[in-house]
Amino acid sequence: MLSVCPYFHVHQPYRVKQYRVFDIGNDTEYFNDNSETDLNNRRIIEKVANKSYRPTNKILKELLDTHPEFRFALSFSGTVLDQFEAYAPDVLDSFKELVATGRVEILADTYHHSLAFFYSVPEFERQVEKHKNRIESLFNVSPKVFRNTELSYRNDLAKWCEDNGYLGIMAEGWEKYLGWRSPNYVYSPAGCSKIKVLLKNYKLSDDVAFRFGNQAWESFPLKAETFADWVQAHHGNGETVNLFMDYETFGEHQWEDTGIFNFLRALPSQLLKHPDTSFKTPTETIESYDSTGEYDVPDVLTWADTDRDLTAWTGNDIQRDALGKIYALEADIMEIGDPDLTEIWRKLQTSDHFYYMCTKWSNDGDVHAYFSPYQSPYDAYIAFMNALSDLQLRVVSKVGVVREKKIAKAKKAQEAKLKKETAVTVGRPEPKIGLVTVRITWKMKLESWLRRTVTGAKIWALFNRNKK
Amino acid sequence: MKVLTFGWDFPPSRNGGLGVACHGLTRELFTQGVEVIFVLPKKQETIGTPKFIFAGAEHKTTVIEVNSAIAPYHSGSSQVTSVIGYHTDGTPRYATRSMLEEVHLFALQAANIARTQQFDIIHAHDWTSYLAGVAAKRVSGKPLILHVHATSFDQAASNNVDPSIFRIEQDAFNAADTVIAVSDLTRRIIIEKHRIAPEKVTVVHNGCDTFTPPVYEPTLRELKAQGKKIVLYHGRITIQKGVDYFVRAARRVVDVDPSIVFVISGWGDMQNQIVRMVGEMGLSGHVIFAGALWEEERDRMYQTADLVVMPSVSEPFGLVPLEALQHGTPSLISKQSGVAEVLTHVLKVDFWDVDAMANHILAAMRYDVLRTQLATHGRQEINRLSWAGAAKKVVALYRNLLNFITT
Repeated sequence: MLSVCPYFHVHQPYRVKQYRVFDIGNDTEYFNDNSETDLNNRRIIEKVANKSYRPTNKILKELLDTHPEFRFALSFSGTVLDQFEAYAPDVLDSFKELVATGRVEILADTYHHSLAFFYSVPEFERQVEKHKNRIESLFNVSPKVFRNTELSYRNDLAKWCEDNGYLGIMAEGWEKYLGWRSPNYVYSPAGCSKIKVLLKNYKLSDDVAFRFGNQAWESFPLKAETFADWVQAHHGNGETVNLFMDYETFGEHQWEDTGIFNFLRALPSQLLKHPDTSFKTPTETIESYDSTGEYDVPDVLTWADTDRDLTAWTGNDIQRDALGKIYALEADIMEIGDPDLTEIWRKLQTSDHFYYMCTKWSNDGDVHAYFSPYQSPYDAYIAFMNALSDLQLRVVSKVGVVREKKIAKAKKAQEAKLKKETAVTVGRPEPKIGLVTVRITWKMKLESWLRRTVTGAKIWALFNRNKK
Repeated sequence: MKVLTFGWDFPPSRNGGLGVACHGLTRELFTQGVEVIFVLPKKQETIGTPKFIFAGAEHKTTVIEVNSAIAPYHSGSSQVTSVIGYHTDGTPRYATRSMLEEVHLFALQAANIARTQQFDIIHAHDWTSYLAGVAAKRVSGKPLILHVHATSFDQAASNNVDPSIFRIEQDAFNAADTVIAVSDLTRRIIIEKHRIAPEKVTVVHNGCDTFTPPVYEPTLRELKAQGKKIVLYHGRITIQKGVDYFVRAARRVVDVDPSIVFVISGWGDMQNQIVRMVGEMGLSGHVIFAGALWEEERDRMYQTADLVVMPSVSEPFGLVPLEALQHGTPSLISKQSGVAEVLTHVLKVDFWDVDAMANHILAAMRYDVLRTQLATHGRQEINRLSWAGAAKKVVALYRNLLNFITT
């Protein structure tokens, strides 16, 4: 038996417009670029909807209809769902149709596609919760398997998933941690006893996601039949082939003229030609196979670049500066508790902003340049920091107001308390003092009787003896 | 391999980037085993042009000096007055000729030199030497390389291109076997404006010296002590360099942050205009004219500045950001510069986008991390832009031409 677990990640950030220093304090809209550039979020959604989301969903629906065995998983960032709702509601409907078949699983994620887990676990938890609620209300399903931004993974994240009731988590199948072992089995995260980790087969996944349209690639053009053969070759030395990639691979990263849609259309039937090959969702995969060993990842692992770490987001000083400054606002934002301000703050946490600031100029750097709407990493940093400066100003003034209100409230409460106490003293002075007086008098009377009378002295002595 | 080179003089002459480029390239050509005969216009007394000083210490170079008053950065019609001899009473005799006449004279002398010298290739730097190169080729039949450090379009910032210089450029490019452009920007001008076949024009980016310069005592200490940040313009004050855009950006910047001080270091034909403009825009308290700074004074200013701006309207290459990085100071440069093609750790804007220029200056002043990263990463980047690399490409071109000739 060999099962294939396809999983596609759907995401678009809210890109920050070319927000200038002059705009700080004067413009509270950071994401509303309306130029003909790739900073215009609406324009991007409309473009990618036509190039990728609409045609791909149509094919996926056809595949689900024609192959009852076909199944796969999707993950959505909240930021892409919000943008679908605003700019392309039909796309959201088509995703709902897919999920309604019951053969498309949705994964848990952070709402804002952030790296919050590595900066603030409480904030991470709030974003996961918000994401869960959004998925439940939109699709009427509850995510059971977790994936983190950019497939970032570490032992403590797996532990968090276990503690929070998930069945499993997704990660990159990377040699550094796998050693000689194959990604085509199910593993247990180090330090966990209940949950399992599904590992991306990056060779096969990237054949589609990165290399498919590369004319210099030896296997170009890749036929579905050939790719199915590569998958089938794992019969006997693997249980699951996990094909994890960006959803936008179809039509956006790989354009239609590369033949990617025909490839997708033909792949399930090519894979199902083999009687012992099936499709499984992540939950089914986790439930079908036992763990074959431990996957121990003490340092952050991601699916990005050749480094497979966080350096694409946190590798240089400007990135670390921007990240540090955005998370430094957490306490104040929470104190203010303004939903709009919190939402803007979270939109600025989306990992893409920091990716655009990457200055790794290797082959990976070219990939970054391709995916950046800014002319340079420094332009990305400047736009981000200017917008953040404006947010900081708003936070400072709001937190001031909130604190003043709090102080005023506390003062009022104190005054009220004082007033109440004074009122008590003035209104009923007698019983309090009277009661005490009576008691003391009675005690004193008893004691003096004990000491003065003979009988009393005997009893007194008796008491004191007992005490000894 | 022996190369007959026509060019401009070597540093420390105070003539800007051209001499620096000729020197850096020639030095590395030696180390790569190329023998160079360098023909220079002879040092002579002149009126109205800067004094020339010869390095003279170049070993292994045969330096040939010819009588000429050629000076770079002049238009073809500008008058050059030179001392051509002395009267019996000891007073000098002057002759006033146009630059064009000088260029033709230089070509005549070049032909004579080419007849007497042995060499394999001719390499001519900048428009003043093009005709000399062509003349040498006519006489010797050896392959000719023209090295374009600037075109008439750059000097004029695209307006009022001097037709006589354009004519010399076009004729010479047509006569040459290979044209070297210092940037892709310049290559495109040669292809589009001079209509030269693209395959004939090759880009060899200038390099830069990568040694770490000495650290000087900072200048403008009082301003620094007041916590003021300094933005520097260093270069000739001419239309080509876009100083007027720099001043307009300064106005926008000062409106937001009056603590930023702008320093203009240089000289040029637009100087009075710029001084007037600064006054009219109410910037007198925010702009300092430092005059032309050279050597240690210039380096001191580079080290003191928080940001160096090169707002050129048209800059074939542009050494300023490289020099600034050598001194640990980041730069903001115009996208209309050749050096923008090789530098990634700089801020880049369109020269005409005053708003963007001001925004970037303000951002650089606000976000310290931005400046530090630009400086440290930029310093690493210029280490890869050595003259040795440029010389290697030139040698490959020489070889290519020689093979072509022999077979």
